[in-house]
Amino acid sequence: MKSRFQLNYLLARSQQKTSTMSIIQLSNISKIYNPDTVPVRALNHVNLNIDKGEFTAIVGPSGCGKTTLLNTIGGLDHPTEGKVIIDHTDITALQSKALINFRLHNIGFVFQDYSLLPVLTARENTEFIMQLQNRSKKEYRQRAEELLKEVGLGDKMDFFPSKLSGGQQQRVAVARALAPKPKFVLADEPTANLDSKSTNDLLDIMLKLNKEEHITFLFSTHDQRVIDKARRIVVLEDGNIVKDEVLTVSY
Amino acid sequence: MITAISWRNVWRSKLRSIVIMSAITLGLTGGIFSVAIFNGMSEQKLRSAIDVQTSHIQIHQQGFRKNKDIRLYIPHLEKLKTEILSTNHVDKWAIRTVISGMAATSNGNAGIQLNGIIPEDEKQVTTLSQMMIEGEYFETQRKNQIVVGKKLADKLEVKLGSKIIVTLQDANGEIVGAAFRVSGIFKTPSSLFDESQAFVRKGDLEKLAGQANTSHEIAIRMNNIEQVPEAIHELQAATNGQPLAIESWREVEPELAYLTDSMWQINYLFLAIILAALAFGILNTMLMAIFERVKELGVLMAVGMNKFNIFKMIVLETVFLSLSGALVGIALSFALVKWINQIGINLSMFAEGLASYGLSSIIYPNLDNEFYLSITLMVIITAILASIYPAIKALQLKPVEAIHG
Repeated sequence: MKSRFQLNYLLARSQQKTSTMSIIQLSNISKIYNPDTVPVRALNHVNLNIDKGEFTAIVGPSGCGKTTLLNTIGGLDHPTEGKVIIDHTDITALQSKALINFRLHNIGFVFQDYSLLPVLTARENTEFIMQLQNRSKKEYRQRAEELLKEVGLGDKMDFFPSKLSGGQQQRVAVARALAPKPKFVLADEPTANLDSKSTNDLLDIMLKLNKEEHITFLFSTHDQRVIDKARRIVVLEDGNIVKDEVLTVSY
Repeated sequence: MITAISWRNVWRSKLRSIVIMSAITLGLTGGIFSVAIFNGMSEQKLRSAIDVQTSHIQIHQQGFRKNKDIRLYIPHLEKLKTEILSTNHVDKWAIRTVISGMAATSNGNAGIQLNGIIPEDEKQVTTLSQMMIEGEYFETQRKNQIVVGKKLADKLEVKLGSKIIVTLQDANGEIVGAAFRVSGIFKTPSSLFDESQAFVRKGDLEKLAGQANTSHEIAIRMNNIEQVPEAIHELQAATNGQPLAIESWREVEPELAYLTDSMWQINYLFLAIILAALAFGILNTMLMAIFERVKELGVLMAVGMNKFNIFKMIVLETVFLSLSGALVGIALSFALVKWINQIGINLSMFAEGLASYGLSSIIYPNLDNEFYLSITLMVIITAILASIYPAIKALQLKPVEAIHG
C-alpha cells in the first residue's frame, strides 16, 4: 500500500482531471433515502471523475453506498442532489423515456447474479439488446458471435443459461453488456457468486477488453481478487469517498 | 425477439400455463357447444316454420293477415301469376284459400284455420306432405278430404276415416258447414301448428265458402333465403299499384325473426360472460408471472428496454397463453359440433315441452364458420384486456427497486 502522502496526492490528481477527459463526472452527488420519514444519507456530496479506459473498483463495507453510486451513475437511481454527466450529457436532467434510451446506447450493465433472460440462448441474450437498438440482423449476428468468442463461449452460443455454469453465464452477461457498444460498463459485484477459477477467467477477460479495446469498467466489489487487479480503487465509507487510489504501475 | 421471449415465457411455468389453458379450452368448448345447440334449435324452429307453412315470402291482399276477412282475397290472381312468373328469383309458389272455422266431432270441437290448397303446388313449397304419420297427403281425388295435425286429431278424438264437421262463415256472412273425412294425420315439430291447422283441397273449401277461384295467400319458396329481400323488391316492382302486402317470413312471423336476431346477441353475450370469467383466470396467471419476474423486468428496463416493448411483451405473452388454450377449445368444439350435427341429440324425453316451443325432439347443433373466427377475435380481445392490468403493474416497477428485490 502506498503512503498517506501518496494517496492524498493521487486523490488530488484524480479530482483535478479536466472534464474533457472524463467520460463520467459526478459533481456533488448526494442521495438521501426516506427524506420525509427516517432520512438515510447513502451518498454525501460525492465528486468523482472516471476517464475513458479506466478499470476502476469501488470498494467499501456493506451499506457504504457502492450500489447506490453505481445505480446513480447508471441512471437507475436519481440523486437527491448534484449532477451526473456522462460524456457531456447531464443524465439527471433527462426524462424517463430519454434516460432509458440513453442507457440502451451508452451504458453496459453486469449484475451480481448474471440476470440473463432464461428463455434466450447465450447468442440471443447478446443479440437481444442490439435488436432493441434496431441494428441490422447481419450486424447483431456478427457482433454477438464475435463477443461470445471473445469471452470464450464460441462453442456454447446456442446454450440456454440453465445449461451454463455461473462463470459462463457471467461471461455471457459481459458480452451482453458490451453488445450495444457502450461508453462504459458498470458491474455490480460481478464476481460475488463465482468460484476462484471463474473469477480469474472473468477478470482476465475484462482486463483484456480494457487493455486491448480500451473499454471502461467501473465495478463495485468486496472481492480482494478483483481489488488486486483494479487499476484505480475508490473507497467509500458512509457515502463519502475516503480514498481514491490510481495504481499506475500495478500491471 | 420480443415475440419469441413472450412465447417462451408462456412455457416457463408449464403446469400453471397448462392449468389456465385447460380452463380456457374447457370453458370455450362448453360455451361454443352450448351456443351451437341454441343456434341449432333456433335454426330448426325457423326451418320448420318456413318448411311447414310460412315459406319465404307471402302475398296477401292488404289487411288480410290482420283481419282474416274471407272477402279480402287477392284480386286479379291470373294477372298476378303472370307478374310473379316474370320475376327472376321466384320459381316455386302455391296459392291458398285461408278461412277460420270450427271443427267438430261427436267428441269435441276446436277452432281451426282451414287451408284450402292445391296439393301438387303445396308439395313444391312446403314439406308437410313428408310429415304424415298416418294416412296420406291428398293422394286420391276423393272429395272433402281433410288432413289434420296429431294434436287436433287427439283433441277431437278422430282417426283415419273419421268424419269432422267443418263450419265457417261464408262471404255473405252465413254460417255454412260440411263433413270432411280424415285422410291423413301429420306431426310437425310445433304442437301449436298441429293443433290449429287443417288442410283441405282448395276446390272443396271454395265450394263450401261459396267463392270460386278465390285465393287469400300466395306462399313463395326461394332456393336461398338470402335472396328474399331481392325477390320482394322485384315482386313489389312487378305488382306496383296493386293493394297487395308482399312480406318476407320476417314480417309474417315477427316473433321468429326476433328470436333469430336476438339468438345471436344472446349467444355472443353468453360467450362474453364465459370469456369474462376466463379473463380473471388469465389476469391472475399473468399477475403471478409478473410478480415472479420482477427482477428480470427490472434488468430489462435497466439495460434499455422501453415501456412500449415491456407492454408489448406482456400483452403478447397473454395473447399466446390465451390463444393456445382457445385454439384447442375452438378446434375441439368445431369437431364436436360437426360430429353431433350428423347424429343429433335425442331429447325425446322432453319432446312435449320442446314441441310446445315448435322444436323437434332431436336437436342438431350448428354454427357458421364465421362464428369460430369471431370467437378467436373475442379471445384475442379478452387476452389484451386481461393483460392490461399486469402490464401496468410491470410498467410501474422501478428498475433499481426491481433489480434489488
